[in-house]
Amino acid sequence: MKTGFNFAYLDEATKRMIRRKILKAVCIPGYQCPFGGREMPLAYGWGTGGIQVTASIIGKEDILKVIDQGADDTTNAVSIKNFFKRVCNIMTTDKTAEASLIQTRHRIPETTLNKDQIIVYQVPQPEPLRKLEPKEKETRKLHAYKEYALMHVKLYEEISQFGSVIKTWAYPVETNNRYITDPTPIPKFDNPKMNNMEALQLFGAGREKRIYAIPPYTKVKSLDFDDHPFEIQTWDECCSICGSTKSYLDEIIINNEGEKNFICSDTDFCNSNLEKNK
Amino acid sequence: MNIKKIMHVENLTHFYGSQIGCEDINFDLYKGEILGIVGESGSGKSTLLKCLSGEIYPSSGKINISLEQGGVKDFLSLPEQEKRQLMRSMWGIVHQNPRDGLNLRISAGGNIAERLLNVSEKNYSHLRNTGKYWMEKTEMDSDRIDEFPIGFSGGMQQRLQISKILSSNPQIVFMDEPTGGLDVSVQAKILDTIKSIVRDINVTMIIVTHDLAVVRFLTDKLLVMKDGIVVETGLTDRVLDDPQHSYTQLLTSSILQV
Repeated sequence: MKTGFNFAYLDEATKRMIRRKILKAVCIPGYQCPFGGREMPLAYGWGTGGIQVTASIIGKEDILKVIDQGADDTTNAVSIKNFFKRVCNIMTTDKTAEASLIQTRHRIPETTLNKDQIIVYQVPQPEPLRKLEPKEKETRKLHAYKEYALMHVKLYEEISQFGSVIKTWAYPVETNNRYITDPTPIPKFDNPKMNNMEALQLFGAGREKRIYAIPPYTKVKSLDFDDHPFEIQTWDECCSICGSTKSYLDEIIINNEGEKNFICSDTDFCNSNLEKNK
Repeated sequence: MNIKKIMHVENLTHFYGSQIGCEDINFDLYKGEILGIVGESGSGKSTLLKCLSGEIYPSSGKINISLEQGGVKDFLSLPEQEKRQLMRSMWGIVHQNPRDGLNLRISAGGNIAERLLNVSEKNYSHLRNTGKYWMEKTEMDSDRIDEFPIGFSGGMQQRLQISKILSSNPQIVFMDEPTGGLDVSVQAKILDTIKSIVRDINVTMIIVTHDLAVVRFLTDKLLVMKDGIVVETGLTDRVLDDPQHSYTQLLTSSILQV
């Protein structure tokens, strides 16, 4: 463990401030709580929000897993894991089932999370209405008064132009029948996993300085129309490594002829599936 | 027949600093009635409309409204949320410039759908059919439902704005110079459309204009304003044919006889 830092890099007062905001966020599911975001030793957009949330709740006993687009071995995931190893001297893991704390960018692990786990999302833009209403003052009113027609107008527009909703990631959800929430840029494939999840879901946006949360066993509904229900992505192919037909697949171009392969985006799931099938 | 009073305005006054916006306005609005407010520029017409539609909070006075579900409420003491809800569903403003009332980045159908989604309509094909119905009702080509209003002519945009407001079946519609900025032949067509629709669906309206032709054609009752006060009020035909106040006389005599 590197000396000269407080445990988990942030000082105790900052951690307490963030924990207070997390508590508030848990009490009002889906509500974006402003917090005094600190500068972290990595660039905005790389997970400064998630890393602050993780730093303020991590304990010495925790086992941390970090994923980026589902993978444990990408730059962002490895760097954040190394960071916490250095400033906390804690155990890290690649196995979803072993982890007590999972920080994620753009995916929810395929393995179902349990009640002893916490998942922390890195959030680039916490405001689902931002692209529809540029004024912050107005979006806060829209949330406060539950005026969410704009969001459905967006879906209406997509159906009228393309025949179906084409939004495939950051698909807006309604949390606990109240706040419309941005599930972060996860594929809409993962949206159903958020509903009634046993694990606590925390969301940290570093640049925008917002924290929000979805407590365990909370209803999370993806927005849709009565006659155009929400659907997740499907593939005709299976994973070319483990053969899974149930996981979220990444398309990979493998040569100059444009041939392509599909593989699981969740590397831990893919590896364990391969083990099992051997 | 017992006609329901839906708005009661008493001693409504608004000052901009020490400047009078409008002073001591009194009137009653009944269901199905079309009230015209005329006057020259700066006479307080728009200030009055803004007070009535909750855009500004008047310095003093009282506005009582009757709700659809029954009961009388003091409009000015309603919380902001209820005022906004009212504006988004039961009431509606047709702005002089359609760009203020429409979202130009979403299609014609999307604009109408926004209004309906505010009243929790979550069925796509119903939204679509209602959109088409109202476009046809305002004499637009319903095949253009997926086009963006930015590509529409001024008259078309105004028609779209009107169909958007009317689609939620509002109780009161406020119109601020609905035909201002349009050429005379388009004005006439839009007025025709408005007239045929209002008789059809029995909507209550308050129209602010400086165009006497508009009030003559559409309104039942008239308020004539000058320098922030109402100088004359009465049935439209009476006021226009037998003006009592010198300003009204000036106004009616200033219509160009061709």
